[in-house]
Amino acid sequence: MKGDVYIASSTDKEVLEKAECGGVVTSLLKFALESKRADAVLAVKARDGNRYDGTPVLISQPDKVIETAGTLHCTSPNIARYVKEYTDGASDLKIAVVVKPCDAKAIIELAKRTQVKMDNLILIGLNCTGTLPSVKAKKMMKEVFGIDPTDVVAEDIDDDRLVITLADGTQKEKTLMELEEQEYGRRENCRRCETNIPTMADIACGKWGTSDKGTTFVEACTEKGANFIDAAISAGCISIRQPNPEAVQLRRKKDDAAIQSAKQWQERDFSSLKQMSSDERFEYWFGQFERCIKCYGCRDACPICYCKDCNLEADRGLVPPGEVPPDIMFPMVRITHVMDSCVNCGQCQDVCAMELPLSRLIFMLNRDLYDIFKYEPGVDIGQLPPLRTVTEQELSLSGVDVAF
Amino acid sequence: MDSFKPKIVGLFCNWCSYRGADLAGTSRLKYAPNVKIIRVMCSGRVDERLVLKAFALGADGVLVCGCHPGECHYHKGNLNARRRITGLKPFVEAIGIGKERLRLEWISASEGPKVAETVNSFTQTIKQLGPSAFNRRRNEH
Repeated sequence: MKGDVYIASSTDKEVLEKAECGGVVTSLLKFALESKRADAVLAVKARDGNRYDGTPVLISQPDKVIETAGTLHCTSPNIARYVKEYTDGASDLKIAVVVKPCDAKAIIELAKRTQVKMDNLILIGLNCTGTLPSVKAKKMMKEVFGIDPTDVVAEDIDDDRLVITLADGTQKEKTLMELEEQEYGRRENCRRCETNIPTMADIACGKWGTSDKGTTFVEACTEKGANFIDAAISAGCISIRQPNPEAVQLRRKKDDAAIQSAKQWQERDFSSLKQMSSDERFEYWFGQFERCIKCYGCRDACPICYCKDCNLEADRGLVPPGEVPPDIMFPMVRITHVMDSCVNCGQCQDVCAMELPLSRLIFMLNRDLYDIFKYEPGVDIGQLPPLRTVTEQELSLSGVDVAF
Repeated sequence: MDSFKPKIVGLFCNWCSYRGADLAGTSRLKYAPNVKIIRVMCSGRVDERLVLKAFALGADGVLVCGCHPGECHYHKGNLNARRRITGLKPFVEAIGIGKERLRLEWISASEGPKVAETVNSFTQTIKQLGPSAFNRRRNEH
């Protein structure tokens, strides 16, 4: 049933050996293919064993699923965009997708814009307290931890610490605070992110709430997810037991702690911008926008930018062609078109060749708009983007500001 | 600063506010000459591009006027405008243009005096704010 929670682990020996904590996700993916509930699964795999280069892979053979077992922290593939572009929004393929909270939110935002067929997707969510930018992570391994980046076999973020396991079994750890003070650690948007448990996906899996290694805490977040887990249990793919109340409590406590830390980061990132005077803000942002080289990277990476015929293209007459930096309309329109539904995935900032703090601005605006419209992007598929949706009850309101 | 003559772009709905401005004219009402009125078929036609382009081309203020809620010729175009302009304000504030430079008002075809009143008060506001950051930047370079 929707809302059920389990402590689960895989029953497959091979999976248990390779997986990080219990192998539930890998087993569920395998089950999805074997039971023909999905035609393919979409997961992330280290390219040629390189942990800093995770690529999305679409797998249709059950025995290949094992290749994606284990978690990669130093990479942030664009899953939502992949689903939309390469599988045509799952229009004729049933896919089980492994998602971080931001991926799940972006897929739901795309579904609202009719770019993704939600009926064909099973979203298997992973708890996430952040990912690391791959190039910086490699540098960090060398300079802060003093190790060869290729020696790392596992990373883990828990209790505000980054723990690294090396091939010879030794573990090294540092607090995130310490790393992030030195500009290492998690990606900027991840530090700000308040969604750690992907309750908007069909199933949420993670190790919070488990005490022993080798198990996963699983929550069925939708009816579809609950049916799927029930079927996997009856097929014997995963073994389960009920979590005790302490485990549920522990999970909530860890989530709350991570949310608090995210809020502090938001405060820190946004207050410096908000404290500037109007003129300083203008100089700051237009100084940034003047560095733009109009590579369209942010637009192409943004998981919710979906127009086939984009207004910012040279032939549309809004932004004159052949100018660098582009006309100021380019960044302004780009930002205003996505700010109401930004899921804070950070892809725009990741790809930006000029390293403009785009995600910081867009997510800050998104939080401002949340205060006005109470619209949380990517959570409820029935709630439509606030700048484009008018409700019947508004017909009787009179002021010029939106008041609910 | 006294010599500052604000340039204001007015985007007025064809069915109400533009007729209201007509009425203000035929009633010989005097009001500030700073607003250049552009007629649009509905305030719902005003998207972020029109407003931002006006600012980028040197408008010190943008005034959007539409029908009162419930009186839209196209049922709820004005309500679309309300959401859009409300949503645009945090953006113009965040990048340093200033949210006071963007205003939305409801003016019906019979409200000639309200047109004069709105234009006067908005011009006054913009006069106090001074030239927009875009214009100041342009004058400096």
